[in-house]
Amino acid sequence: MRELELYFGPQHLGMVGNFSITLNVEGDRIVKATANPGFLHRGFEKLMEQRTWIQNFPLVCRINVVEPDHMELMYAMAVEKLAGIEVPERARFIRSIYLELARIGSHLFGLWAYANMLGFDTVANWAMYHRDLVLDLFEELTGGRVYHIYIWPGGVRRDFPEGFKDRIINTLHTIGSCVPDYDNTFFNNRVFYKRAKNIGKITCEEAKRMGAVGQVLRATGMKQDIRKTEPYAAYDQVDWEIPVRTDGDAYSRIWVVRDEMIESVHMIFKLLDKMPEGEVYNKIPNPFKWKIPDKDAYVRCESSRGELGLYLVSNGGDKPYRAHFRTPSYNHGLTILEKALENESIADVGNIMISLYITAPEIDR
Amino acid sequence: MKNTGQLLKEKLLLSFEDIQAEVSDEHRLTVNCRKDTVITVLSFLNNSGYDHLALISCVDWIKDNVLELVYILTAYAEDKGKAKMNILVKTRITREKPGLHTVIPVFENAEPYERELHELYGIHFMGHPRLTPLFLEREYKIPPFRKDFDTRKYVQEVFDQIPFVEDKKAEK
Amino acid sequence: MTGNSILSPFNAVKYLFVKPKTIRYPFEPKEPAQRYRGFHVNDWEKCTGCGNCADICPNQAIQMIKMPELESKSGQKNERPRLDYGRCCFCGLCVDICPPGSLKLTRDYFHIHFDPKTFVFIPKDQKTEPGKYMSAEDYSVLKASLSHRKKDYEGFVSDLKFALFEPDRVTMPMIDPDVRKLSFIEQVVGYNPEEAKKEASRCLECRLCEEACPAHLKISDYIQAIYEDKPEESLKKIYEDNPIPSICGRVCMAYCEQACSLSIRGEALSVRWLKRYAADTIKDFITALELKPGTSTGKKIAVIGAGPGGLSVAYFLRLKGHEVNVYDALPGGGGTMRTGPPVYRLPLESIDKDVNYIRSLGVEFIFNTRIGKDVFFEDLLKEYDAVFLGTGNTKSRSTKVKNYEKCELAFDFLSDNKIGKQRKVGKEIIVIGGGNVALDVAREALRLQNIQYPGENIAVKTVSLEDWHEMPATKEEIEEAKEEKIQFNPAWGPKEVVLDNDGNVKGLLCKKVKSVFDKEGRFAPTFYEENEMFLEGDMIIEAVGQAPDFSFIPENLFEKLEFTERKKVKVDEKGMTSIRKVFAGGDIVNVNLDAVTAIADAKVASVGIDAFLSGK
Repeated sequence: MRELELYFGPQHLGMVGNFSITLNVEGDRIVKATANPGFLHRGFEKLMEQRTWIQNFPLVCRINVVEPDHMELMYAMAVEKLAGIEVPERARFIRSIYLELARIGSHLFGLWAYANMLGFDTVANWAMYHRDLVLDLFEELTGGRVYHIYIWPGGVRRDFPEGFKDRIINTLHTIGSCVPDYDNTFFNNRVFYKRAKNIGKITCEEAKRMGAVGQVLRATGMKQDIRKTEPYAAYDQVDWEIPVRTDGDAYSRIWVVRDEMIESVHMIFKLLDKMPEGEVYNKIPNPFKWKIPDKDAYVRCESSRGELGLYLVSNGGDKPYRAHFRTPSYNHGLTILEKALENESIADVGNIMISLYITAPEIDR
Repeated sequence: MKNTGQLLKEKLLLSFEDIQAEVSDEHRLTVNCRKDTVITVLSFLNNSGYDHLALISCVDWIKDNVLELVYILTAYAEDKGKAKMNILVKTRITREKPGLHTVIPVFENAEPYERELHELYGIHFMGHPRLTPLFLEREYKIPPFRKDFDTRKYVQEVFDQIPFVEDKKAEK
Repeated sequence: MTGNSILSPFNAVKYLFVKPKTIRYPFEPKEPAQRYRGFHVNDWEKCTGCGNCADICPNQAIQMIKMPELESKSGQKNERPRLDYGRCCFCGLCVDICPPGSLKLTRDYFHIHFDPKTFVFIPKDQKTEPGKYMSAEDYSVLKASLSHRKKDYEGFVSDLKFALFEPDRVTMPMIDPDVRKLSFIEQVVGYNPEEAKKEASRCLECRLCEEACPAHLKISDYIQAIYEDKPEESLKKIYEDNPIPSICGRVCMAYCEQACSLSIRGEALSVRWLKRYAADTIKDFITALELKPGTSTGKKIAVIGAGPGGLSVAYFLRLKGHEVNVYDALPGGGGTMRTGPPVYRLPLESIDKDVNYIRSLGVEFIFNTRIGKDVFFEDLLKEYDAVFLGTGNTKSRSTKVKNYEKCELAFDFLSDNKIGKQRKVGKEIIVIGGGNVALDVAREALRLQNIQYPGENIAVKTVSLEDWHEMPATKEEIEEAKEEKIQFNPAWGPKEVVLDNDGNVKGLLCKKVKSVFDKEGRFAPTFYEENEMFLEGDMIIEAVGQAPDFSFIPENLFEKLEFTERKKVKVDEKGMTSIRKVFAGGDIVNVNLDAVTAIADAKVASVGIDAFLSGK
């Protein structure tokens, strides 16, 4: 059969985000896939070199639209490491709660994309509604719905408003009570099983070799999570489990996402129970005179997509000398995707791509 | 008892002659090596269990006239001590016609990182299968992430030529 | 894994009968959260125009715009922020850096317009622009825009706890009041390098202080140098405008601190102590400053009075290459600074440090020489190319109440104690006056009492016409005096000094003050004559003001000297008096009566003299 070249995205209904793949197809089998990023390249890392330490806070969160919070955390943690700023105990707990809410929000967004992609519009709408409830919480806590600019070096920018604890609990109960509905209509649905099982399969060995992290790795049976291995914020203060599946296909990946959301809800309840009273912010130096010693730092955290890292270099000035984000989607989108698409059918491109949890802004930066 | 980082450092210093290794803040090991030993150091570390290449980054130290490549390695291991370690392998290369061997044979996922550095810093990775443009649309005389690339000047030259919508209307 | 029935997805059908969650906008409004980051409001009354918001804005969305309708005064620029909502990202950094807390974000976020110019907007608040802020009844979502907003709709507001600046000052180590009142030990210990750096790091570089300072010192720059741990740099910056940092670092009136934008909601930056730190850290000014007098011009200038004004004029003119001789009746430099401020505030060594540096530049000091007695003013006029009068106020005024001759005068008292013979004081002292001099006298008297009558019952009382809120002394000074248990009697005026049968002072009869100033703000006290109070005391010191002494000027010249309405020597914009060749500055010219204003006068006069001599 004759080999054809097919352009998939950026303007394609099955494509989420500004990303494109060039497919070489024989019939509807994919022979070779070439990822083609760059539609969202904004040069954030270069921009960061031209803004003062404090001015970068409103900037870093904009790197990833879906989940700005972990970007904030990374920058704050790197700055704390370079400048030697301590974080109060209560602020650690608030950060953890805030990040877990962000994870739930981001996973719901991913669920929306995936369900929408497979044609489960009902579930997609539920997920969007529930994400909105989480955004309402963010709005109340931080003043912004999408870009929160909340985590600062030395703690968080404002304390919990009055009665916020109860509202978190209420919202999580609302979302939690819908889990059986989600299960019935989506996760345990036979249609979904048929569409996702054995699609985009990756073995544990392959995953490791190609630098997979997050759900992609955990779906192959590897129990790894930076919240456990190198705990930050208050993740070492509560007990929780890393959800794992072993099959390494799209179906397992989405199930890991589902289990993680439920684990996050439980974790937030535990964190809220243990949260101490006290200060939430250690003052940072005067932003106009703030210079950071000549050092470099690599920090990493477990974002909702996997290992997110930041390599931050200071040359003793009032601006970062170099910032480089290590984003989870980078290897997922540019290395694993090309491998996973081989020998799959065209109809499954979106399916595989979203199950790998790729977001274009993370790749391009 | 010595911690994982200290042990690894000693192992490294025994195996290689002209490298410096330094353990700073508990789980971070910084290794400085020459550009021709970097691949052997990386494969040594890969064989020692640090099998996850998290990032290849580059810093342009324009004052010293060098580009510093930073390979950041972590471990997939479930062993607590190992999993915590961050290893930064650094090597310096000249800014003029920078080049060194690719590490794809050691770490398969280095491929896009090296492509990115080739594009943004103009580093040539020998043996890389496709050093094609990754993100950028145009060609640049100076690779855009180098420190001597003047973003503001570039923006003025390229984008300030485009007339405002209102000016266009006024012309009509 | 898929043991579920194929029918189970149809559970979702039940949602057909649930009320939809979608909000039917605009019929069903969605209220933003309490902290929502929407459009700005700015309280113009509180805003100082410091421009910190514009400096921190990551997108350069804020620009400071000159408002001609506003006046610039100390601590206030006539500039206000202008927002460009095409650039603003609503991060709220401007709110967190705003020192007065005037800039706030509201919960409004609607603005739809065809004209892009309307997105550039100068925020005011509902007090200033009531027409643009609607109550709940008048508000309509359909009209919502930057000029149709909700009333009382503040969102993200400033909180001192989370502000980006540090409102609290690094505490200056002071000697404990109970210890310091026993001797003349210098009460302020001074910052150590860490403390100084930390304090310097608080500066927001808005430069409101530089405009408030009469001599316009480059305050932000010298504080930045201290922050960078370069005291030499800092001293160099200070010496560009002020040649007496050791003196000013101790006794300056610190107009800068009153203007400091941090002082609005917190404590002002201690500019004065930082200057003192720079001056005290450097032991050897000559090597640190590397200043050289300019090439010689061959012109000679006489400066009468080695006070702050005289010293400064000598310094500035010497740098321009002129030859300067400074005459003073006292045995050392400093003028009023030498005789006035007590040793616990301004030790003689500090004065000599500054004077000696100016001497090292080649200025000649002729001390112990009184003009009009040892040297004659007419001769100076003949001998020199120009003469600068910096004689200042040297005579104390008296209250002239009954038996006032029995009272001591403040200047004589202070001067004798500092550079002459220590006075014998009484056990119960009354000080008349509410200014800084009065408090100096009171506190000095207290120390003398403690030295002369250790362990005995002693008391110092002050009587002032002004009530607490209008007292001319600085707050700091009043606080310190209170700590040392000085008794205050504000709003009482002296009526009569009461004597006992032997003619010794027995006490002071006072009358209640009705008002101190008249409607135009001039000093014109009125009293309730019948409301009296008797204060016991065996010594009374009057500190009610000072007057200049022009006896050295011969009458034929004095006739020519013109004075202003406020009885000050009249000078033109170059500092020249109505007598040719004679320039003046300091307390005889300005009404502020302090060192830094004298320096400012001296700067003007030195430029004037230089221009005059070079024939421009």
